[in-house]
Amino acid sequence: MKHLKALNQKARLLDQAVAEDQVEEVIAMSAVAGCTATVDPGWEVDAFGGVAGLCQPMEADLYGCADPCWWPAQVPDTMMTYPDWSKDAPSAKENWRNLDNVFPKDAL
Amino acid sequence: MNNKPIACATLTALALVASAPGDAAERQINVPNLIMERCSICHADDLGRLVRISAQRKTPEGWLMTVVRMQQQHDLGLSDDERRALVKYLADTQGLAPAETEGARYVLERRLNTVENFSSEQFTQMCARCHSGARVALQRRTATEWERLVNFHLSQFPTLEYQALGRDRDWFGIATNEIVPYLAKNFAYGDEQWQKWKQTPRAPVAGEWSLSGHLPGRGDFNAVMSVSQRANDHYALELRGNYADGGALIGQGAAVVYTGYEWRGKVEINGVEMRQVFALKGDILEGRMFVADHDEVGADVLAARQDGGASRVLAVQPSYLKTGTATELSIIGSNFDGELVLPAGIKVEKLLSRTPGRIVIRALADKRALGTHQVKVGAAEGGELAVFDKLDRIEVVPPYAIARVGGNGGPAPKVDARFEALAWAKGPRGEYRVGYVPAKWSVAPFNEDAKRDRDVEFAGSIDAKTGVFTPSFAGPNPLRHLMTNNAGNLAVIAEISAGGKPLTAQGQLIVTVQRWNNPPIP
Repeated sequence: MKHLKALNQKARLLDQAVAEDQVEEVIAMSAVAGCTATVDPGWEVDAFGGVAGLCQPMEADLYGCADPCWWPAQVPDTMMTYPDWSKDAPSAKENWRNLDNVFPKDAL
Repeated sequence: MNNKPIACATLTALALVASAPGDAAERQINVPNLIMERCSICHADDLGRLVRISAQRKTPEGWLMTVVRMQQQHDLGLSDDERRALVKYLADTQGLAPAETEGARYVLERRLNTVENFSSEQFTQMCARCHSGARVALQRRTATEWERLVNFHLSQFPTLEYQALGRDRDWFGIATNEIVPYLAKNFAYGDEQWQKWKQTPRAPVAGEWSLSGHLPGRGDFNAVMSVSQRANDHYALELRGNYADGGALIGQGAAVVYTGYEWRGKVEINGVEMRQVFALKGDILEGRMFVADHDEVGADVLAARQDGGASRVLAVQPSYLKTGTATELSIIGSNFDGELVLPAGIKVEKLLSRTPGRIVIRALADKRALGTHQVKVGAAEGGELAVFDKLDRIEVVPPYAIARVGGNGGPAPKVDARFEALAWAKGPRGEYRVGYVPAKWSVAPFNEDAKRDRDVEFAGSIDAKTGVFTPSFAGPNPLRHLMTNNAGNLAVIAEISAGGKPLTAQGQLIVTVQRWNNPPIP
């Protein structure tokens, strides 16, 4: 790492985490029931246990990541599982209110 | 591959009753015929045997997720009644024994602030990095079926090999050669416990139940739940009781018992739709009751059957007495028969009321009673009653929580976070738990990032009195740097005064974005 220089905030966080030996903490954070933190970046929590390293606002590039199943347990993927999920929201940034839950309510 | 929406019941009180589990139409469905007619089209082998389905066992929610996936991904045509009947049949005939769900019920009960901790780090990284590990632990499959599940994951979510903890190793090799044998050993299909459970006589359910509970943000409650049978495994419910703050608790609804013990209720309490996820253990019901559309708002519940059940002490509300301060206590239980016996040093100043399920007294404790005790009524003994002189410390419960932004015109509601201050005292035999005490609540930046990004200002607010955190609105926020979401990393601080001395404690709250994939097992 000594020949690499951190250029953005996420890279600086990574440098800091390595320096502070936060690896164990990162693994613990990945295990909150049903949340994902370790899919670089996570959906709910970043790899450092916070939210500053997430891709946010998530609406800015939601489809670029979610379409190819990046967080399939949290965000419907349109590549394989829910091809029509975003049909009423051509721009996630503008039309995010049209994105709905995929699991039926009160199904049991 | 068409994604066909499934009809959802309209969420009104009328619809709740009309669509309550156990409707006659659902009960009249011949499920074996339904399976042969709809499932065997894809699942029958050359000899006409059902493949895949017969090599798995799951909870009702596990089977529901499978059946819904068949509907959404493979165009399986089922009415709502047919789906409910099919899930019931599969959970009854290929379910999990009670012991097989132990340690993983938190996901069924929707306790989604649980930090999972598995002994196998590899299992955590391979399976629980995207969804809960409990989703896996609540299934039993043959080795062949576990291998097929690995293959399914790779075909359905092909980028999993490119994610962190996927691309940096031979993911498929590890999944096939190490994880499949691990799962086949630890979560084997033909477990003895299931065979034993199938032979176990089923506990009676109908009758009156005495119920005690605790709802974070509101406090303790107790009720009598009257259960009447409508059909085999289907029950009608009525609840009448009180919160400790004096408010009434009145409700009605219905419940279905799956697999002989998995109690799932739909009730409307004081106009709010709630769900019950309980386990039936003989004459005891235990689990969680939560708001249907806000499962973060939920109560721990413990109940005992009055009709034909044992004499039991379930809870003491509140769970503590301060020496020298006369306090009204409710002892909740079932079939009380005999004298109330309190530990030495606790005096009953007045008996205020007594029923077979509830004794209300005004009690006064002195220093002889310092420590924790159980309460006796006749031969029954139970509950927890702490007597303290001075509190030593408090802790924030839960110590780590997730809230989610919501609303603002989008379909996802805000997901609150609810905190309580748990007090501890010191005694001659060490530290002991006193119980939940009122506290003053506030939030602060958890770290420098949160301070720089002004998370406290944008992420939401906490009620200083109740400890309920309400997150901010969903969507990009033009007022934040790069229009980022109203996420935040917050320290949650509780403060109480103990004998004029302040005691504080801190927890962590992650306020994050909404999710759109919300199956019953996350």
